[in-house]
Amino acid sequence: MPLIIKDEYPEKLFREDGKRLDGRDKHELRPIKMEVGLLKNADGSAYLEWGNNKIFAAVYGPRDVHPHYLSKPDRGILRVFYRMATFSVFERKRPAPGRREKEISMVLGDCLEPLLFLELYPGNSFEVFINVMDADGGTRCACATVAALALADAGVPMRSLVTAVAVGKIDGELVTDLSGIEDKAGEADLPCAITWFNEELSLLQFDGSMDLKEFDESITLAKNALIKIHEMQLNTLKNKYIAIQEEYSGGKNKK
Amino acid sequence: MENEEDESIEETFTDNDETEEIAEFDGEENSREVVVPGEVLTEDTKNFLPGRGTILNKDRTKIISLNIGLKQINKNYINVIPLKGSYTPRAGDKVIALVIDKNPVKYRLDINAKDQGILKPKNTVKRNKMRGFRGGGSDHEAPSTEKYQIGDILIVKVLSADRLNQPELTTVGQYLGKRRDGIVISINPPKIPRVIGRDGSMIKMLKNLTKSNIFVTQNGRIWLKGENIAYERLLIDAIKKIEREAHTVGLTDRISVYINNEKKIRGIN
Repeated sequence: MPLIIKDEYPEKLFREDGKRLDGRDKHELRPIKMEVGLLKNADGSAYLEWGNNKIFAAVYGPRDVHPHYLSKPDRGILRVFYRMATFSVFERKRPAPGRREKEISMVLGDCLEPLLFLELYPGNSFEVFINVMDADGGTRCACATVAALALADAGVPMRSLVTAVAVGKIDGELVTDLSGIEDKAGEADLPCAITWFNEELSLLQFDGSMDLKEFDESITLAKNALIKIHEMQLNTLKNKYIAIQEEYSGGKNKK
Repeated sequence: MENEEDESIEETFTDNDETEEIAEFDGEENSREVVVPGEVLTEDTKNFLPGRGTILNKDRTKIISLNIGLKQINKNYINVIPLKGSYTPRAGDKVIALVIDKNPVKYRLDINAKDQGILKPKNTVKRNKMRGFRGGGSDHEAPSTEKYQIGDILIVKVLSADRLNQPELTTVGQYLGKRRDGIVISINPPKIPRVIGRDGSMIKMLKNLTKSNIFVTQNGRIWLKGENIAYERLLIDAIKKIEREAHTVGLTDRISVYINNEKKIRGIN
């Protein structure tokens, strides 16, 4: 007998003790794990586990543009390919890129573009391939986070990193970092990303209903969460090199 | 005539051209701080100026890093020496190139940069030979793209390079031309200065300990030829070790110990 998982949403998204269904507080993030530099053939790569999301990102570039007519004579281009694995969701996902994947690819491209100095690479392209191996809500935010890591790992000159998180409203209350069920059954979903060199929003999408006061409040909530995630990103990038340094410092650094 | 020119290449090489950048990478031993893109290096913009790999923010209040690299202060400039990145050709660089295409007008070479290099046949023959001292400038001496085949490994020099046009290359000069033997390996281009070492100390040590010829080029490719395959393998392992630990302190001594240990383990002397 094949396992059939019914796509039913629970009536209440908060437990009786006031916590969320997965046992988190209202503004608690899911556990996040990041790694950089695991794909050998890519120029830069990163891996992210954010709750149940498992995402790989690979960066290639600067290199020639294929097809050639896409290249621009005065600046480089950034292309983002967001793809979901067939086994990443409950019902098999058809492998061909659909409307949703094309949209997210475009949104992520626009989100990452202000970071790069594309005018220094006329006629060339940077390509970011993002593969979602396991999806459980908030993949576009996780993808923006992991793509920034992969770009930094590739040694592409960047103004800063970008970090993204989703805030939303479930059962009439604002929460940070929505999971899959909360995303579908909740009232509102607001993914947003910040570029840190000017602290401006680089990605803002909105789905559901919320009044203006709540909207302002949720942006503040998002920023608090983003600061934590940004800290993790920086540490991940540094630790790759600091680990090797400490291996051989022999106590010299401790002076 | 042309063959003679090629044979003269097979000498031992001393790399004096590539020592410019070493001071920057090798730097002062006290600053080995790893920084990442977007990190604020200093907010004291009166006393410091943004150098290589850094940028001022819009309000001119902070200097921020652009790359993942090592922070370094040189007089009043703050630099970030990248730990990873691509090679940007500059005029005067000697690079190892692979012929990937040719037509009667020009060769196209892969030089591990974002653009392919262009080698015109007039740049493969010495000027005075072109004029023709024997036949008085006869037409059959005119340069053509017969000299090299697709798949050849060449050592070339960059004549001109900017970010708009494809870099132009030449094979006329000392040590330049086709390589018929040896091994070419490639590493991350920003780590090349570390393989050379301060005033070429690292490369001298590698040559002495492994009895090999090494030619290090700025695009991250290294040509090497040893006495036998055992030495060549040891040398490749040593270079990979240098690449991995390029940002640590006391590398030259550690590599020398490593090679001596490996020699005992592998039974070569």
